[in-house]
Amino acid sequence: MNLPTFLTSGSATTAATTLVLTSILLTGCAAVPSAPTGSMEVRNKLNTLQNDAQTVQYARVELREADEAVTLAEQPLDADETELAEHRVYMANTMIEIAKSKASVRMAEADRTEMGQRLDAARLAARTAEADRAAADAAKARSSEAAVLAATARETEELRQQILALEAKPTDRGLVLTLGDVLFATGSADIQGGSNQNLEKLANFLTRYPDRDVTIEGHTDNTGTASFNQTLSQQRADSVRRYLIERNIASNRMTTSGLGLDHPVASNDTATGRQQNRRVEVIIADTQ
Amino acid sequence: MKHTLLNNWSTRLCKLTGGLLTAVLLTACASAPLPPTEQLDAARAAITTAEQAEARQFAQSELEDARARLALAEEAVVAEDMSTAEHLALQSRVTAELALARTEATKAAAINREMQRSADAMDEEMQRQGDQ
Repeated sequence: MNLPTFLTSGSATTAATTLVLTSILLTGCAAVPSAPTGSMEVRNKLNTLQNDAQTVQYARVELREADEAVTLAEQPLDADETELAEHRVYMANTMIEIAKSKASVRMAEADRTEMGQRLDAARLAARTAEADRAAADAAKARSSEAAVLAATARETEELRQQILALEAKPTDRGLVLTLGDVLFATGSADIQGGSNQNLEKLANFLTRYPDRDVTIEGHTDNTGTASFNQTLSQQRADSVRRYLIERNIASNRMTTSGLGLDHPVASNDTATGRQQNRRVEVIIADTQ
Repeated sequence: MKHTLLNNWSTRLCKLTGGLLTAVLLTACASAPLPPTEQLDAARAAITTAEQAEARQFAQSELEDARARLALAEEAVVAEDMSTAEHLALQSRVTAELALARTEATKAAAINREMQRSADAMDEEMQRQGDQ
């Protein structure tokens, strides 16, 4: 065998061989040191992305992977390894594009959170406005419903106001307006002072509601005889009737009666009670 | 005489070295003749994922590129060019991943536009009601 002989034949030869072998091997597997075509472009592209704060924030991992791919693509290769060089550049470039897209996806998702909050606020405001509108609509509907009934409703309300003004009390007999004894001088059936506010109101009321008839009842306290009181009460009721006739209220709408001392509303034992018993009651009949 | 002998030795040595070198190079730089199954599977999986994400609609060219590279990789396997097959399989995978990423980006942008639109519409509606 040559080789063992050669291997044992001197250190100078061995050294030379090693040297030759090493240099050949280096030439064989390492490359001529030149940056592969396209690697500079991908490096520039990556640099641009790495300088973009949002991309760095949203695609950190992808950018690092792309950086590794670019670094690999930059490794010098032999002139005959263009396929590998192109492969590495392609990989690097695609990974840069992936980083870019991922960043935009995550940016959109982040924007969405913010937008969602804005949208929620807008929706809430819309719902509030809608509720307000619904309430307003309901109120409008109610008022239009009232408008449909306007004729009767307004009349009812007016009547109510008029009755309120009369200070008449609703009873089962109808509205009862009590005219106190201050209307008359003691023992007299003449109405004092010519004009009386309560009688004025009654006249106005009867003018306004011509279909309402009235019953005018005179009452007294127990001072004096029953017949005197009956006569006096009748005269006082007639006085009121006359007053109303003077105010153009048709006489056929009014019935008078003198009820004397039979219907006291308070005790006759006190002055105050007796004063309350001396009165004229005007009963305004309900229509129908 | 000794010099001649040395030269002779050198010649033989070079021949030997050449033989050794060839063997070393073949082992070191040539690909093993096994198909890059792992990379091919990864590429196919990435393409499927992209398809499921509707990449056909949103990133058609990238998806087709990924498919074409996979087809080339499979051809390279048949041709027993395993190095090229592996490269193409890797390229197919990242291209499919890009198709997916672009699909997601397009969808995300569309969703945001829609949200923006409805937010604007609502603002407008509010404005309109406010004006009433």
